[in-house]
Amino acid sequence: MTDNLDPPALRDLEPTVSYFGQPLLKRPSWGWSVIGYLFLGGIMGGCGILVALSERRGDSGDRKLARNAKYLSLALAAACPVVLISHLGRPERFLYMLRIVKLKSPMSLGVWGLVAFSGVAGLNAVTAFFGKRGGVLNLPQALLGGFIAGYTGVLLSATAIPLWAKGKFHIPALCVCSGIAGACALNAMLLAADHAPETIHKLERLEMVAGLAEAGILLHFGSFSGIYGKPMYDGKRGERLRTYTLIFGTAVPLALNALPIFKGPLKTLISSALTLLGGYVLREALIEAGKDSADDPKAAFRQPE
Amino acid sequence: MPGLGTSLGRGGATTFLQDLKNSDCILIEGSNFAECHPVGFRFVMEAKARGAKIIHVDPRFTRTSALADLYVPIRSGSDIAFLGAIVNWLLQNERYFKEYVVAYTNASSIVNERFQDTEDLDGLFSGWQPGDDRADGTDAYDPSTWDFEYDEVPAAQGGGMVKVLKRDPTLQHPRSVFQILKRHFSRYSADMVESICGTPREKFLEVCELLATNSGRERTTAFAYAVGWTQHTVGVQYIRTGAILQLLLGNIGRPGGGIMALRGHANIQGATDIATLYDLLPGYLPMPSTLRKEQTLAEYLQTNTKATGWWANTPKYAVSLLKAFYGEAATAENDFCFEYLPQCTGDHSTLPTTIAMKDGVVKGYVVMGQNPAASGQNAELTRAALERLEWMVNVDSYETETASFWKREGTDPRKIATECFYIPAATILEKDGTMTNTNRLLQFHDKAVEPAGESVSDLWFIHQLGSRLRALYAASIDPKDRPVLDLTWEYPHEDERERKRGEPSVLKVMQEINGFDVQSGDQIASFTDLKSDGSTAAGGWIYSGVCPDAHTHRAKNRTGDEWTSLNWGFAWPANRRMLYNRASADPDGNPWSDRKKYVWWDDITQKWTGVDVPDFPLTKDPHVAAKPGAGGLDAHSGADPFIMQLDGRGQLFVSDELKDGPLPTHYEPLASVVENQLYTQQSSPALREWKRRDNRYNEAVDPRFPFVLTTYRITEMSGIMTRYVPWLAELQPAAFCELDPQLAVERGIRNGDWATISTALGEIEVRALVSGRMKPLRLGKGRRIHQIGVPYNYGSLGFATGDSSGDVIALSMDPNVSIHESKSLTCNIRAGRRAERRRDDADADVAQDKRTAEGESVAHGID
Amino acid sequence: MESTSGTGFFTDTTLCIGCKACEVACKQWNELPSDGFDFSGNSYDNTRTLSGTTWRHVSFVEQMNVGASTIQDRWLMMSDVCKHCTHAGCLEACPTGAIIRNEFDNVYIQPDVCNGCGYCIPSCPFGVVDLISPAGDSRHAVYNTATLREDRGDQTAMQVTGGVAGKCTLCYDRQTIGFEPACAKACPTESIQFGNVAELKATAKQRVENLQQRGVDAYLYGVDETGSVGDLNAFFLLTERPEAYNLPPRPVLPSTHQPAAYASAALAVGALALIGTAIFRRAR
Ligand SMILES: Nc1nc2c(c(=O)[nH]1)N[C@H]1C(S)=C(S)[C@@H](COP(=O)(O)OP(=O)(O)OC[C@H]3O[C@@H](n4cnc5c(=O)[nH]c(N)nc54)[C@H](O)[C@@H]3O)O[C@H]1N2
Ligand SMILES: Nc1nc2c(c(=O)[nH]1)N[C@H]1C(S)=C(S)[C@@H](COP(=O)(O)OP(=O)(O)OC[C@H]3O[C@@H](n4cnc5c(=O)[nH]c(N)nc54)[C@H](O)[C@@H]3O)O[C@H]1N2
Ligand code: SF4
Ligand code: SF4
Ligand code: SF4
Ligand code: SF4
Ligand code: SF4
Ligand SMILES: [Mo]
Repeated sequence: MTDNLDPPALRDLEPTVSYFGQPLLKRPSWGWSVIGYLFLGGIMGGCGILVALSERRGDSGDRKLARNAKYLSLALAAACPVVLISHLGRPERFLYMLRIVKLKSPMSLGVWGLVAFSGVAGLNAVTAFFGKRGGVLNLPQALLGGFIAGYTGVLLSATAIPLWAKGKFHIPALCVCSGIAGACALNAMLLAADHAPETIHKLERLEMVAGLAEAGILLHFGSFSGIYGKPMYDGKRGERLRTYTLIFGTAVPLALNALPIFKGPLKTLISSALTLLGGYVLREALIEAGKDSADDPKAAFRQPE
Repeated sequence: MPGLGTSLGRGGATTFLQDLKNSDCILIEGSNFAECHPVGFRFVMEAKARGAKIIHVDPRFTRTSALADLYVPIRSGSDIAFLGAIVNWLLQNERYFKEYVVAYTNASSIVNERFQDTEDLDGLFSGWQPGDDRADGTDAYDPSTWDFEYDEVPAAQGGGMVKVLKRDPTLQHPRSVFQILKRHFSRYSADMVESICGTPREKFLEVCELLATNSGRERTTAFAYAVGWTQHTVGVQYIRTGAILQLLLGNIGRPGGGIMALRGHANIQGATDIATLYDLLPGYLPMPSTLRKEQTLAEYLQTNTKATGWWANTPKYAVSLLKAFYGEAATAENDFCFEYLPQCTGDHSTLPTTIAMKDGVVKGYVVMGQNPAASGQNAELTRAALERLEWMVNVDSYETETASFWKREGTDPRKIATECFYIPAATILEKDGTMTNTNRLLQFHDKAVEPAGESVSDLWFIHQLGSRLRALYAASIDPKDRPVLDLTWEYPHEDERERKRGEPSVLKVMQEINGFDVQSGDQIASFTDLKSDGSTAAGGWIYSGVCPDAHTHRAKNRTGDEWTSLNWGFAWPANRRMLYNRASADPDGNPWSDRKKYVWWDDITQKWTGVDVPDFPLTKDPHVAAKPGAGGLDAHSGADPFIMQLDGRGQLFVSDELKDGPLPTHYEPLASVVENQLYTQQSSPALREWKRRDNRYNEAVDPRFPFVLTTYRITEMSGIMTRYVPWLAELQPAAFCELDPQLAVERGIRNGDWATISTALGEIEVRALVSGRMKPLRLGKGRRIHQIGVPYNYGSLGFATGDSSGDVIALSMDPNVSIHESKSLTCNIRAGRRAERRRDDADADVAQDKRTAEGESVAHGID
Repeated sequence: MESTSGTGFFTDTTLCIGCKACEVACKQWNELPSDGFDFSGNSYDNTRTLSGTTWRHVSFVEQMNVGASTIQDRWLMMSDVCKHCTHAGCLEACPTGAIIRNEFDNVYIQPDVCNGCGYCIPSCPFGVVDLISPAGDSRHAVYNTATLREDRGDQTAMQVTGGVAGKCTLCYDRQTIGFEPACAKACPTESIQFGNVAELKATAKQRVENLQQRGVDAYLYGVDETGSVGDLNAFFLLTERPEAYNLPPRPVLPSTHQPAAYASAALAVGALALIGTAIFRRAR
């Protein structure tokens, strides 16, 4: 690492590349709760955006969508902290995150984003409850929503975990796309009940775009990440990712939504469910592969610049 | 340590750790310095930083080797061949320090013509007597043929003729020690080293060159050894060879030189000084024995007082000791109670005593601060021996394998009759006291915390034992009880609270050891004040001066400096840090060189002076001649530095004191993978062994056991003390063995897996650590041998556990100091775990092998 | 990058005899439990790596030539520790501000502020910091209870510290009362030197020169660094490639990835928002 004095070459007597094959980095301690949070957080952010999109004086369906999105935002804003707290080693100390605002720390910003979003979402839900429009609240909710959907990706990328660091161009965008797709899917499901084919159709189209983007990014990252990507794309986990996120989570819904032969609430329910499933598996793959990436000294020795 | 004692005069390291930093070269052989003496090793590192060359000769590549400039592999058990070859190389190439050798060693002495060398008798010296021809029935040497030749000269005073050593300063006389030495080692060549030790010749020659170029007037080389040299059936002769080398190189008594004998436990030196050894009284006075003419004080003094040299003072020390023991009761009339002293009737050292227990001869056992059931050789025999006892008292800070032998794997406590008492011992932090470290340095340590729970100090225990015995005998008028009743046994503690608890005063004990004037009760300042008329008392003459007056305890001194630190603690004798330091000056009393100044003669003050306490009569002019017929030091000239010796010289040739020969000779260990390539005499004729069913040996060259086995310790472990500490246990959590990759492959043993090591005695299972640090050795053109290493520190208790290496090592020992053989053995190894642990049927009968059966019964002292 | 003030370590691996006194002294002073008793087979290293409860760790790198190769045998020992980076990933990541740079310019975790979110763990490019899990091997627990100070009652050290991140504190508590760190104090060969970083660097450069003169391939790891992490306040003198000691040759400060990451997120949000607007507008 020092340029002025270059170290002697490692003798080829070493039993392994690294020190007895010991991992260089420590495995992140995160489990299902963080996966769940990334998943829900993404959808929540997506909902925030949908609120704004849907409330440009659209038809009745759009208005329903706006209301649902607002209520959903609030519900998720209430759920997320619970999941988040449950992963802390010292849950009783959740509030310690609110001691400071730390621009350098995505997690700190994220928490504040969450707080702000909850506030706006709360107000907006109340206004909706009294049948009023969001007005000035919508734009902030959309922006915060976008932030929430994206910062989780930043949070991962801004670490030393080779896979995540390598994914700094891809992972945040992935999270956003999957979040918005998820939000569209969830809202479509809710609307399926009260026949708003127009709106559902719009949602499905946005969902298709997001899904396509997500798939594209995912595939590109697969080749771009090289050795760093192995834990995510190789073996069982790769299989799972391809099957559930790419095929069932993106391709199938795409087909269902694109081809006119499929119609009706049932189709909506199925394609939406699949999209959500794909979104969850994606988050799971990201976190679990990240842990394994930490265990691979070969990758960790060449930390992505 | 008679290896050093016989060669130089005192059985202790000749130098001190701090002085190693002045060495130009340090030969570490027979010690894993860095791992077993890490704190002392800092001074080796300092020397290295100053450009000194560090050499490590060891069967294994250890942490010491890793820090050394030159690592030299050697087959365990072959050091005498290696060192002897260096002696030969020095003599052949004239690279020894001539002036030093001529002036300060007995190289010029002439040996009488009856002496025959191992070269003449194919591995035996003259005087070998098979048991049948001897009273005690054991084969042994009669050393009379090893004596020197003498001249008759007129006595310095009082007329008459007296005997003095015949000498030839030209060293040419064929029977001069120098020429005998030359012949003795003439066949110890570089080729021999290659084929006996497996050491590559170029490495051997590199060592020779380094030693030679770093010795002489301007430069000095130090040797450091520990039990890698001692734990052999010829252990004493290993050290003798080292001493011979250092004398030839002129490194004894000089800064950066000397022999650093690294002692074991923190206070092991103190334990030998104040006599825990069965055959020694405090201050290295011999224990009276029925095997010698020592039944009265007169006889004892007759036998143990040397006409010349420091031991001319024996009467002063012996009588003062008796006065310290028996106080008022000891008078000139009653031989100062000499007959109160018990008498040795044979070898009562640990090994024979253990056997005696096993055979039901010894019925009671007090074990203090030792854990033979784990660290002993033939540990299973030891454990079985404990079962045969009527009672055992164990004083220890932890529950050891010894304390709990009766509930060990595979035993039925109900079947064991031994009555066991356990006394929890206060640890070093829980009591005041002094420790004497490897520098012969006494350092006082204060009690830091109160003893936990029921724990008591060892001093308390011993003192109570005495007091209570005395109470039981109080009423007795039977003369045989006087030894107990006449003991001086009052050491009231200065501190009120301690006194109430019955804790004796360590200060008062040390003051008694230091010695005092019986009349005035004043402390004496030095052992030179001691008298043989009973007017002084001293419990350990060599410590005299540690408490020179009522208020001073020099072991508490704590002002150090960069070097000798004379005001830090107190080193025996007389606070001298380096022994024989007169030799740091040339015969005329001037430093050999400016670079190596230490102690020299100051013409102005007419005194010896320097940075240390001179190991010489302070005002004795270097030019005074020896006075023939005179006693004590007057028989030495002003240029004879080794004041403890008869002739004041370093002994290249030891005329009578050793049981296995006047010169070191290469013998194979009792169990070896090869034949002795130098003599038909395979192993030392004088070694002691017990051929019995419960102590089976591997045959000399035994095809069933093709590998060399050696045992040792590791930094992370000591014994039970460390096995109970999780912080240490996690560092080396399991007993393991070290073996080379090639052998591992051959035997299908995978790194980290279980391996089972077997000998004729039994099996142990350990984890395998396969490492390139273990190297197969090629013996010359001959075969390739593998060495296997096993740390001995493990046992069944604690967080880090494992089989004890003692379970595959049969009892055998050296004849001089009864040290066990645990360094060079043979074994076999296979993958996997051992079978059910071997249990001795406690009644294994004593074998009928003549040599041992009888030799051993003598050892027991039962006839 | 020169940090002029502040304390740190110069660990000279050429002086290390692998006695592990530092590792033990650290655990003792900080009352950390043992990490378990399993035999690793990794040379003499059975604790394997730094952990939430092992804050000094001694590695043993065996370079023994077994084959015909003529390279000189080496057994390198190195006492690893938190690097107390000039630009510390863990510190930047910590959302609670539990990790601070204290008055000695050391990177210090305030256990009473840490909430165990675990974000510092993937944010350390050296894999140093880790969570201390509340669950402890009962065998250690028993032991720790015995050694705990009264004020901790009968809790085990595990329960006391569990659920928070743990790493070298550079013996903050000792420094505040003018003691040197326990590990440095225990080191018999001065392989671990503690002091003012600027002075340590001077000493270290001296040492490197004189080793190189003696033909030893020595260099400093963590001094005059050009990378984003900057200099290490606990730096090392090494004689082998960093990888051999399980050190990253080019550690990267995680926060340097943020601009790209935020851009990626913003782009995605922007793009989809636009498309979304289009979709919802056209619909009318
Ligand atoms: N950490 C720790 N330190 C200790 C102890 C402990 O238990 N743990 N014990 C203390 C005690 S009681 C003692 S006596 C000392 C012992 O101190 P040392 O004698 O240094 O220790 P050992 O490891 O027994 O043996 C030293 C070396 O001798 C080598 N060796 C074996 N056979 C031979 C041979 O034939 N020739 C040569 N040249 N070398 C050979 C071994 O490979 C080993 O490396 O250590 C003391 N220090
Ligand atoms: N195979 C093989 N065997 C060997 C050796 C070898 O190299 N190889 N080395 C030999 C050597 S050199 C030695 S010294 C022996 C060591 O053998 P041991 O001395 O039997 O082994 P330790 O475990 O050191 O035993 C010391 C005991 O003293 C106790 N203790 C500590 N402090 C105190 C105290 O203040 N008072 C009391 N009463 N007890 C205390 C400890 O708890 C411990 O049980 O092993 C010998 N055995
Ligand atoms: S254990 Fe004690 S005696 Fe042994 S090296 Fe360490 S400090 Fe010295
Ligand atoms: S080494 Fe890791 S834990 Fe230590 S200061 Fe640097 S980033 Fe933080
Ligand atoms: S685990 Fe503790 S120290 Fe680490 S980032 Fe979270 S709060 Fe900060
Ligand atoms: S400085 Fe203190 S906390 Fe850090 S490693 Fe050393 S002893 Fe442990
Ligand atoms: S204490 Fe010093 S010598 Fe021992 S392992 Fe630690 S750094 Fe190395
Ligand atoms: Mo020992």
